[in-house]
Amino acid sequence: MLKVFDIRKQFNEIVVLDSVSFSVKKSDIVGLAGPSGGGKSTLLRCIQKLDTPDSGSIECNGRAGFMFQDFQLFPHLTVLENLTYAPSLKEKKQNCLKHARDMLKNLGIMSKANAYPRDLSGGQKQRVALARSLMIKPDILLCDEPTSGLDVATTTDVVTLLESVCEMGVTMVIASHDLDFLTKISDRIILLNGGKIVVDIQPQRLDNSVDYLKKYY
Amino acid sequence: MENLASSIIYVGTGIAITLKLLLGGICIGIALGLLMSILRYNGVCRYFINGVISVVRGTPVILQLSFIYFTIPGIFGVKLTAIGAGIITFGLNSSAYVAEILRAGIESIPKGQFEAARTLEIPMVPMWRDIILPQVVRNILPAMVSEVIALLKETALIATIGGMDLMRRSQTLAAERFEYFMPLCIAGAYYYCLVLFIEFVGRKIERSEKYAKGI
Repeated sequence: MLKVFDIRKQFNEIVVLDSVSFSVKKSDIVGLAGPSGGGKSTLLRCIQKLDTPDSGSIECNGRAGFMFQDFQLFPHLTVLENLTYAPSLKEKKQNCLKHARDMLKNLGIMSKANAYPRDLSGGQKQRVALARSLMIKPDILLCDEPTSGLDVATTTDVVTLLESVCEMGVTMVIASHDLDFLTKISDRIILLNGGKIVVDIQPQRLDNSVDYLKKYY
Repeated sequence: MENLASSIIYVGTGIAITLKLLLGGICIGIALGLLMSILRYNGVCRYFINGVISVVRGTPVILQLSFIYFTIPGIFGVKLTAIGAGIITFGLNSSAYVAEILRAGIESIPKGQFEAARTLEIPMVPMWRDIILPQVVRNILPAMVSEVIALLKETALIATIGGMDLMRRSQTLAAERFEYFMPLCIAGAYYYCLVLFIEFVGRKIERSEKYAKGI
């Protein structure tokens, strides 16, 4: 599904990604862990082509969706318009509206369909951002810190949501500093530190994967 | 009393010319300003546009008006009325300020909004038309209202080349009657009422649901 081969990215003198290689199978949930500045977000941005690596190659079979850490909802559009704007440029608006309403129902925020982003709570914005990135029917979803700034209960909701997305057959790469969250949701965790992959594990196979991962921080 | 009423009517007749200059100037200003702010993203054009903006902002409007009215007909062999010269001058002058306002407005939009549009595979034209510019317009509205007000007051300079606007009419009246207080107060009241009206319209737009919502 996704092949990242030997990529390197440097901002001025700082090496953010250094010889990073890995591949992701279809329907896998891969967690990207690591300290702040470890290169997680830059890696996601390179996969999405928002940044260009200095060297190496990224091969992505299929359409990639991206969920931003700060949501980046369009502030002048309602929730429903945020969801339907992009797909309605390619498909019939009626179909997009139906799809968007179904999505909002599933995410439990149908009552906010006509609200503007500024009227939503952090958790609700998170759901809208997730729904919007799913509206273009991505084969792989890249999530940048989906639980940052959320309380424990909402984080649990996000886990459930992302699991349901995975059941839809969408492959996911999730960058997060929250190890508890990542070990709960991921089939595999890649830990980046100083721009290099230092650990690549399957958390289910370890007794206490959080403690194991913490050693590499 | 009769004298006052006739003065108000005489000066007020000039409002048509003042509004013609204002509307003509702002239409050219917005169109040209938008074009300049888009062309500024082109490497070669940027230097030229920046130069034009720098010269227009760095010289007095009265000089620009005189330059266009007195030299353009000689250079290009065209006949130019005072009003025509005024519309061209105020339009050009305003375009430099509108381009700067637009630049600030575009730069105030977070980079993430452009990136979000890209990740959703929104093409360039719909992205600018439906995602970026509506947010820019809301951000720059107060500055644009100020620009329209500034332009309205600048139109009074047309009096220097003989355009019979509010200002020129009040000067004519003052010269005829050897009395400056009343004609100038009348012209001032007209300008002030027009400014209040522009402010009112600006506030109405800002408060309308389309602009008040979001962010």
